[in-house]
Amino acid sequence: MKIIRAIASLKLTLVGFVLLGIGAALSYDNLLNSTAWVIVIPLAVLAINLLAAIFTNSRINSQPGLLVFHLALLGLVILVAIGRLTYLDGHVEIVESQPFEPSEITEEFKGPLHAGILDNVHFIQGPYTVDYDSGVRRGLTFSQVFIPDARGNLVKKVIGDDRPLVLEGFRFYTTFNKGFTVLLTWIPDQGVPVTGTVNMPSYPLFDYKQGNTWTPPNSQEIKFWLQLQTGMKLDEAWRLDGRNATGVLVVSQDKQRIELQPGDTIPIHGGKLRYDKLLTWMGYKIFYNPTIKWLFFVSLVSVFGMSWHYWQKMASRPWPEGVKNPKEESKSQQQQGDVI
Amino acid sequence: MSSTELVAELPWLWSGLAAYALATFVAIWGVVPRHQVGGVATKGGVSGDNSGGDQHEKLILALLISALIFLSIAIAQRWIRIGHGPWISLFELLMSQLLSLGVIFTLAYWRLPGLRASAVIALPVLWVLGTWVLMLEPTASHFPATYYNQWKWAHVFLGKVYLALLLLGVALSGVMILRQFERTAVYFVRMPVNEILDKIAWRFMMLALVFDSLMLIAGAVWAQDAWGRYWSWDALETSAFITWLALALGLHLRLTYRIPAWVSGAMIIGIFALAFTTYFGLPYLSPAAHKGMV
Ligand code: HEM
Repeated sequence: MKIIRAIASLKLTLVGFVLLGIGAALSYDNLLNSTAWVIVIPLAVLAINLLAAIFTNSRINSQPGLLVFHLALLGLVILVAIGRLTYLDGHVEIVESQPFEPSEITEEFKGPLHAGILDNVHFIQGPYTVDYDSGVRRGLTFSQVFIPDARGNLVKKVIGDDRPLVLEGFRFYTTFNKGFTVLLTWIPDQGVPVTGTVNMPSYPLFDYKQGNTWTPPNSQEIKFWLQLQTGMKLDEAWRLDGRNATGVLVVSQDKQRIELQPGDTIPIHGGKLRYDKLLTWMGYKIFYNPTIKWLFFVSLVSVFGMSWHYWQKMASRPWPEGVKNPKEESKSQQQQGDVI
Repeated sequence: MSSTELVAELPWLWSGLAAYALATFVAIWGVVPRHQVGGVATKGGVSGDNSGGDQHEKLILALLISALIFLSIAIAQRWIRIGHGPWISLFELLMSQLLSLGVIFTLAYWRLPGLRASAVIALPVLWVLGTWVLMLEPTASHFPATYYNQWKWAHVFLGKVYLALLLLGVALSGVMILRQFERTAVYFVRMPVNEILDKIAWRFMMLALVFDSLMLIAGAVWAQDAWGRYWSWDALETSAFITWLALALGLHLRLTYRIPAWVSGAMIIGIFALAFTTYFGLPYLSPAAHKGMV
């Protein structure tokens, strides 16, 4: 019992707070790169300290509001821990008219106990629009996606910015990272043609360098540039809409510069290359964390507990008279009871 | 400001600031000993009769209310002019804080007459914001995609109440600290003794913790919607968390140790300084907190 009382010491709580503050400062901007221990250790110290206090300290366990608050704090720590074990974070670029492919996720981070099944997530990317203010400052994004319903019919949904697509617990958020794609068909001299897409860099962020390379099967690398007409304006509001954009594909080969319109074909070592169509791609942030609703709920419970505690203090010992009515101050000086 | 054109909100803003300035002068005039009726200063408290001397307080209340009206008109004018509320630029945030801090301070001034002399601390703090806003250009700001989210209302409202409660605590803290010195102690003879001020100041702190916690919750929901993550230790989040923790630390320190009134006051001022830099400093120092470009 003595040991538990020692662990429950409020002085340890103060040390825990200071350590957690330092840990938070160290976590600034680089939680994923830096070690999480700077947060985990102080939180563990505080959790054990709090648990011991709840058992031994009547100041905390006999005041219901305060108890609810501190228990909810413990609950939050546990939920955050579960979240770290089960989360998934990732990015994916999806080309217009193509389905989401889990294998194309990049920058994926996940907790060791992550149990979401991305293979159950099915949708097809549609076109999108993004509104820009003067100075190329981004406004609202409207991205169309098509989701198969139970009967296999595709249902259109418009998402964007703070309206994510939520499927199987995975949340897909549009990002600033989006741009144009060229649909190309490689027709080899021998063998079957293949059609594929090459994503150009993010637009309008990299408006000035819309280039990429591609190496057809059994051939040499081809360099491309895309000359875009999107209606972009620097000092006026405008809307980015891939359906109204046109793009000339410039292919450089043997020091020659060849301009292709959609539908044009050029001979290239070992075959022919056809520029089929200009399309767009949208970059999504994928977020999965089964605890977020619980975190919200438990944090509200914690505030409820704190308010309840505060309310009881206020109700049992209201404002000293000197505060509400200065003329009665001399009386209030005599009753300097415990106000809070 | 010479190159600035006279946009619609400026005359109202200036009138509001002028009313605050006048209120500050009258408040200072009111606490100067020779203008007070009755009361003998003692270190850390008062003795004697505290009646009378209320006329100037009515004037302060009237000036505060006119400042609030002028500032409301200034904000409305700007809202109409640029098409969105005061959410984005530092100019807008300062203007809107001048109003919200003022509203809550005025309510406290009206309802808690015993604490009125502490206006000589709170009003100059408002004036720091006022001087700052005068140095900024009222250029129209861009409304980013993330601000269409309705959680901004809850987050911003709760944050305003939180900061205002801290300001009320700061006002009492200033009194507790100035009472350490004979020369300045005399200004506050009409206020309750330090023990009472300290308890009330920490009442404000506890209420501030309630609103701070709610603000963080609303902010996390908004961040989840806007950026697809509820917390990621960016500059603002880290600083806001440290401020929340400092409040917890302060409350717990008082439970663990007996703390002299002036130290207690210094702690509250420290917490306010943290909250102040979180609110007004970081979003404009760190581009990471300001997304929405391209
Ligand atoms: C983690 C370990 C913690 C322990 C062991 C602990 C323990 C306690 C205890 C024993 C009290 C006593 C109440 C009384 O004497 O009336 C208390 C009050 C309180 N605690 Fe904690 N606490 C912890 C964490 C926190 C945290 C993280 C916060 C967050 C802000 C917090 C906020 C409060 C508040 C607001 C009060 C009421 C203060 C008052 O009535 O003046 N505590 N705590």
